Amino acid sequence: MKLFRILAVWCFMLCTTAGIQQVQAQAEATTTVVAEPEVEMADVLRQDGKIYVVVAVLLTVLVGMILYLISLDRKVGKLEAQLKDDLVNR
Amino acid sequence: MKKNWWKILAVLLLVFTVVAGMLSEVPRLAILNETIRNLYFHVPMWFGMILILLISFAYSIKYLKKPTIKNDIIAAEAAKVGILFGVLGIITGMEWARFTWGEYWSSDPKQNASAIGLLIYFAYLVLRSSFNEQQQRARISAVYNIFAFAALIPLLFILPRMTDSLHPGNGGNPGFNTYDMDSSLRMVFYPAVLGWTLLGVWIVNVKSRLELLRQRLYETV
Repeated sequence: MKLFRILAVWCFMLCTTAGIQQVQAQAEATTTVVAEPEVEMADVLRQDGKIYVVVAVLLTVLVGMILYLISLDRKVGKLEAQLKDDLVNR
Repeated sequence: MKKNWWKILAVLLLVFTVVAGMLSEVPRLAILNETIRNLYFHVPMWFGMILILLISFAYSIKYLKKPTIKNDIIAAEAAKVGILFGVLGIITGMEWARFTWGEYWSSDPKQNASAIGLLIYFAYLVLRSSFNEQQQRARISAVYNIFAFAALIPLLFILPRMTDSLHPGNGGNPGFNTYDMDSSLRMVFYPAVLGWTLLGVWIVNVKSRLELLRQRLYETV
């Protein structure tokens, strides 16, 4: 049952991203290119082939995984403390 | 907190690996191009696997000397995490190979040998799950684990080097120095190996503590 729910959410996300992409593609097609004057913008994340975006994504995944591992570690630690077990603490 | 300093070290090293691994200067080589950065993510999987399986091997020997549940559990959990690292290593290797060697699987000696090595360890899991009696399971799988590790070393480090291989450092002098690694690569590579290995050890640590708690629960209930 839980699996179905996860699958449903996943399908929904897939459909919405596909839809958003289509809408964006249409929007891009209709805009015309106009020569813009030099304006200062936050360009850092668009520099160097947008590699900084990849770094941000990788860091997000890594930090997410590590936070999850830390929470697991804490949960096990709490259980250990509850049991006060000489076998565990040997 | 004092006992957990190595977990903090693991996090710091991994963050460093990702940031420096993506942004640092790397040698400009044909065919490899930017994929040379996979060195920081694919190769540490194998180094991590070997080191974690070494832990498993050591605890299997320890179990035979002193048969405690703890020794058995650590050996088993380390083997499982080592297998996870190996599977990730083989998958990342296939992804990398597709775009540099042309095929996901070129039947490269090292590819084949590492696949055989993983199969040997899959058999360890099957063997373990086929016993109901705890002591029997622990003792027989400890013996198997020792032989599995002894088989893995020649499969990964000796046999592929006797023939020509697509992997660097093979088909000739097997030393680590034959990797055409310059100092900028090493600067990130060694921290990466240590970071990924420590992450694996951390997972082993949490999993074996959990398993010990479970055993304790079965004893009391």
